[in-house]
Amino acid sequence: MRKKLNVTGAVCTAMLAVVLGTLGFASSALAHTGEYAKFDFCPSTKAEVQKCLYSVTTGGEVVLGNKKVPIVNAVTLQGGVAAPAESGAEEDISKFFEATNGITLSKTPQPLPGGLLGIVPPESSPPLVKALSKFFFENGLTGVNSTLELAKPASEIRVSQAHIGRKEGVALKMPVKVHLENPFLGKSCYLGSSTSPITFNLTSGETAPPAPNTKIEGSSGKIEFLEEGRILRLNENVLVDNAWSAPSPSGCGGILSFLVNPVISSMLGSTTAGHNTAILKNTISIATAVAVNNH
Amino acid sequence: MNKKATRTFLLGMLAALCLGAAFTGSASASPVWKFEGKELTGTETIVGAAIDSSLTIPGLTTKCEDFLYKLTISNSAGTGKGELTELPLFNCTTSSPVCTVKSIAAEKLPWPAHLTTVSASPYIVMESVKVGILYAGAECAFGGVLVNVTGSAGGLINNTTETATFNASTLSATKTKLIAFGESIEWLGVFPTEAFEWNREKALSVS
Repeated sequence: MRKKLNVTGAVCTAMLAVVLGTLGFASSALAHTGEYAKFDFCPSTKAEVQKCLYSVTTGGEVVLGNKKVPIVNAVTLQGGVAAPAESGAEEDISKFFEATNGITLSKTPQPLPGGLLGIVPPESSPPLVKALSKFFFENGLTGVNSTLELAKPASEIRVSQAHIGRKEGVALKMPVKVHLENPFLGKSCYLGSSTSPITFNLTSGETAPPAPNTKIEGSSGKIEFLEEGRILRLNENVLVDNAWSAPSPSGCGGILSFLVNPVISSMLGSTTAGHNTAILKNTISIATAVAVNNH
Repeated sequence: MNKKATRTFLLGMLAALCLGAAFTGSASASPVWKFEGKELTGTETIVGAAIDSSLTIPGLTTKCEDFLYKLTISNSAGTGKGELTELPLFNCTTSSPVCTVKSIAAEKLPWPAHLTTVSASPYIVMESVKVGILYAGAECAFGGVLVNVTGSAGGLINNTTETATFNASTLSATKTKLIAFGESIEWLGVFPTEAFEWNREKALSVS
């Protein structure tokens, strides 16, 4: 009898755990439908959150010194946005809130052309040469992936819907670090850190970088209203910054980092301001928290 | 002077006369403001309210029931000029059930204007246009964002109906465009042209 009671108790406990687990999941990820599904991980029920943002970067490039990393795998930025400040240094700029699933900026690896050896055949090379180069230099051992990661909490991100539209000022400020991944480099090879992040001050307007970089221009994108004005989508939005600096690589090569860090550093060349570029081609969707909660 | 030199001289004179005539012809083609067929001297003030006007960002049309304007006109160096000094906009609504217009205002007035001719038709071109629109609404994706409409706009002047019409084809004809969020937007507007001062109730034409 005692044994039967114990079994029943265990079953009840398990069921309770499942129910509680489901409730817990439901509170962190509200399942929306249709166009609103992309805002599933927006902290829309948080009092300070006025809008939800979901941005997918599907193209562009990040140039670090003399290494160019094209963005070939989609990167997602999602979370909540506070009401913009009405005055002061952050006028028209909003604070950002972390996505409820913890993935505010997706850790999407981008292959570094030429891999560890940095050998890139010229564009005019025959396809066979390009394929062989890719096989030898971008394989599991010598191939290098570059991943943009948030260097600080999501609350350090700043967004300005007004600046995107006006093509002036900073549209998206984001502290990031670049994770270089390869069996030789180990798991802790980074440019930038939480204490010394790379700060992207991305604009949809024109940049004013130090030399040798020259000014480049972003784009607000093509505006489109969905769901009778409840969702704003900016297609073909381009955010740019080519005035940022990146610290020297650190943690590359594990215990041999004192040897490997300088090698990576020399491969990249100078990464001081004026030598780096970020061009992010995005589709940005914005809806108010109220609209998201109601759907 | 020998015969060859005389012929060359006369041909040169003829060419100069032809060029002069051509220049005079294109200069006289510049449209000017006229009242009862007479060229306006000095300045005149035109006021009116749009018969119909709407502004469309793809997916969101904004209309104002009261779209008034005040334009000071004059002729200068053979061309009609103007200055839009007032543009009060009231009772504005949107095509969205969740977006309202919290405020809308013309900024950086006066806006200069000039007359021009495209394919024999007279047009008025408004320059340095800047309108700020602040949308609101708990579910409006544009809520709380000040949208700036900037650029220039050309409208076709109809001397019979005494109106100026702005739409996609008139903006295209005058190579003008209005921009919001980095993109061209659509503006539809029909404005009556009626003098308010010295030439009140006189027929206004542009040619």
